[in-house]
Amino acid sequence: MTADTALSNSSQDVAQDGIVAELYAQFGAEAFTLQPTLIGMPVVWAAREQLLDIMKFLRGVPRPYVMLYDLHGVDERLRMHRDGLPKADFTVFYQLMSLERNSDIMLKVALSEADLRVPTVTGIWPNANWYEREVFDMFGIDFPGHPHLTRILMPPNWNGHPLRKDYPARATEFDPYTLTMEGQDKAQEALRFNPEDWGMQRRTEETDYMFLNLGPNHPSAHGAFRIVLQLDGEEIVDCVPDIGYHHRAAEKMGERQSWHSYIPYTDRVDYTGGVMNNLPYILAVEKLAGIKVPARVETIRIMMAELFRISSHLLFLGTYLQDLGAMSPVFFAFTDRQKSYEVIEAITGFRMHPAWFRIGGVAQDLPKGWEGKVKSFIDWMPKRLNEYQRAMMDNAVVRERTKGVAAYTTREALEWGVTGPNLRATGFEFDLRKARPYSGYENFEFEIPVAHNGDAFDRGMMRIEEMRQSLRIMQQCLDNMPAGDYKADHPLTTPPPREKMLQHIETLITHFLQVSWGPVLKANESQQMIEATKGINSYYLTSDGNTMSYRTRIRTPSYPHLQQIPAVMRGGFVPDLIAHLGSIDFVMADVDR
Amino acid sequence: MQYKLTRIDPNTPTDQQYPIGQRGNVDDPMKQQVHRNVFMGKLEDVLNAGVNWGRKNSLWPYNFGLSCCYVEMTTAFTAPHDVARFGAEVIRASPRQADFMVIAGTCFIKMAPVIQQLYDQMLEPKWVISMGSCANSGGMYDIYSVVQGVDKFLPVDVYIPGCPPRPEAFLQGLQLLQDSVQEERRPLSWVVGDQGVYRAEMPSQKEKSRAERIQVTNLRTPDEV
Repeated sequence: MTADTALSNSSQDVAQDGIVAELYAQFGAEAFTLQPTLIGMPVVWAAREQLLDIMKFLRGVPRPYVMLYDLHGVDERLRMHRDGLPKADFTVFYQLMSLERNSDIMLKVALSEADLRVPTVTGIWPNANWYEREVFDMFGIDFPGHPHLTRILMPPNWNGHPLRKDYPARATEFDPYTLTMEGQDKAQEALRFNPEDWGMQRRTEETDYMFLNLGPNHPSAHGAFRIVLQLDGEEIVDCVPDIGYHHRAAEKMGERQSWHSYIPYTDRVDYTGGVMNNLPYILAVEKLAGIKVPARVETIRIMMAELFRISSHLLFLGTYLQDLGAMSPVFFAFTDRQKSYEVIEAITGFRMHPAWFRIGGVAQDLPKGWEGKVKSFIDWMPKRLNEYQRAMMDNAVVRERTKGVAAYTTREALEWGVTGPNLRATGFEFDLRKARPYSGYENFEFEIPVAHNGDAFDRGMMRIEEMRQSLRIMQQCLDNMPAGDYKADHPLTTPPPREKMLQHIETLITHFLQVSWGPVLKANESQQMIEATKGINSYYLTSDGNTMSYRTRIRTPSYPHLQQIPAVMRGGFVPDLIAHLGSIDFVMADVDR
Repeated sequence: MQYKLTRIDPNTPTDQQYPIGQRGNVDDPMKQQVHRNVFMGKLEDVLNAGVNWGRKNSLWPYNFGLSCCYVEMTTAFTAPHDVARFGAEVIRASPRQADFMVIAGTCFIKMAPVIQQLYDQMLEPKWVISMGSCANSGGMYDIYSVVQGVDKFLPVDVYIPGCPPRPEAFLQGLQLLQDSVQEERRPLSWVVGDQGVYRAEMPSQKEKSRAERIQVTNLRTPDEV
């Protein structure tokens, strides 16, 4: 969906959208409140009592909503602009995705502070499990019927629910952190795994199970990730992933940073993705602001995003093969990453987190001589990729370790909310860049690589193929870079064009305010989904007519990917788990945010 | 040169805040020994220098990473930057075999007790490098889940600024740690000499390079590659 079509998506269009009509026919129009937003999909409020029926209907409707894409909450208590919406202290929202319709629907349930309960939907979509736990953790909303409603991001002995509006955001608002031997013992004790809590048995008549704690610091865990394995010999009977060791509260941070100054925080969500993270946020803000950017901006953004996709996939390839025991690939892959950083540094001035996209444009124009840098990178990569394929993916040891390991089907993938290359490895061709083009992807020629077995090997191969396609897109950017401005001519472009400031005192004041306080966006809601390095990443922004976001919801792809691990690994062996962890391609900041 | 003395009391009460051990600023202990007995003092001086030289040139890092900074740290370990030039390429997956730990990334309240345990499992002599703004001070994450600097509970030897620091900055940090290890005074054995650990107060890099920095008047424009 381009910015244009998203902007014209008023409530009248939405009511005629197929699914809303179907819902009206089934439950009656009075059961719903339609909310006009800039999200680009129907947003309907429903009563809590009807929620499960509606969900079952949507799951079973012809061309069903197979994927629970997102589920989270909003603290509505301080929101000023809620005209025409049902009265609510808290809201729980569900975003469902239908791949056959290639469209989504968002359902919202209003809750009053005195009665914070919503029935669980884990019976319909298994991946609701972690999302509901997170809503419980962050807002204190109860989900009766949930199989294991405990904290997920914060430590088990934490007080309060951080995303509530009355919870302080800053660490400096609390007492300074101290740790004593006693405190350490207590915290460690709280993290102890208790199998009975998870309905696991310590022993059966035949065997005593071993419980192996892997992480939160383990070389194969790719950061602070912990998974507890129930082992019968070498076989994994069951496992429980434990996350929250990397919760940087990016969503809460959005509520105190201006629209502009939040950009650097997005870089650090999927920290191998660099400016790729800026893209969904910037596009969502531009929808709210009603900015249409010049073609040059779109093309520059695509070029940089694809460059970061390659850099991220190279990191994946190096570490994936290293987890499989191959020592040398990581050295080759990092040499290539260094080449990509030469281009990135020349253009953006920074390496990992350039925060280079701006509301209504990019930070500055491409420097003189950028073509040579990009060209030398595009020339360098293909032969390296061929070499990787030959030396590593054709390697007998790698094939034996990964072929048929941790395989899952498309149906299972959709059930668990798996997106991106991991979904395409199962043979399902779904890429947002093609299915719902954004930022001008419709102008590019490229293919969507798919594999067929959905195993750890395919997931590795997918990345090599994707890098080739990204190089193709970059080549087209290089050949057809449009002339024009690197900033949109719009009053909300931030920072505003300097020439407009130096006219008289009025323009100077306006410029000063927009730079110091930041732009003010009209009250509304918007969202943008993109095909990020690891899957579908989206920012769902709620503006309350202020200089800051009222609620920033970041849906990251790695979160459901980790949640799926037990479903895939039951019955596998420990080395298979390591191969699977390597093949998922996750970073913990992308899980815990 | 001024030194910071750390002495560990085995009977530390459990409600004592980390980092444990008494600390105080003292003069170079070696000077006093040389003063007391020129011959033995000199010998110890040479021995100490020799041992420190060995230590600083084979620092084994602990394979420990938290966030973004760890990617840049790993970049420093791979071919283009080649940390082996400084004798620190032997990454250990077990804290028991490692000499120093780089806190590469954000230190979370949920993670802090785990970090402390990993640090405690490392054997003396051991050092800590704090890499990046988050580990140094919390950086841009002044937020409920983040400890505002890992030095709230760990004794840090070198701070590397940046968000994340470049691999070159990590390499410089490593060299600064080596310089500081060279100046250290540690017991040569558990029966020889004073059992305290004397860490040298190394000069501030900010002050050291100030003159050079303020001399720069022309910065390259970003308009050209």
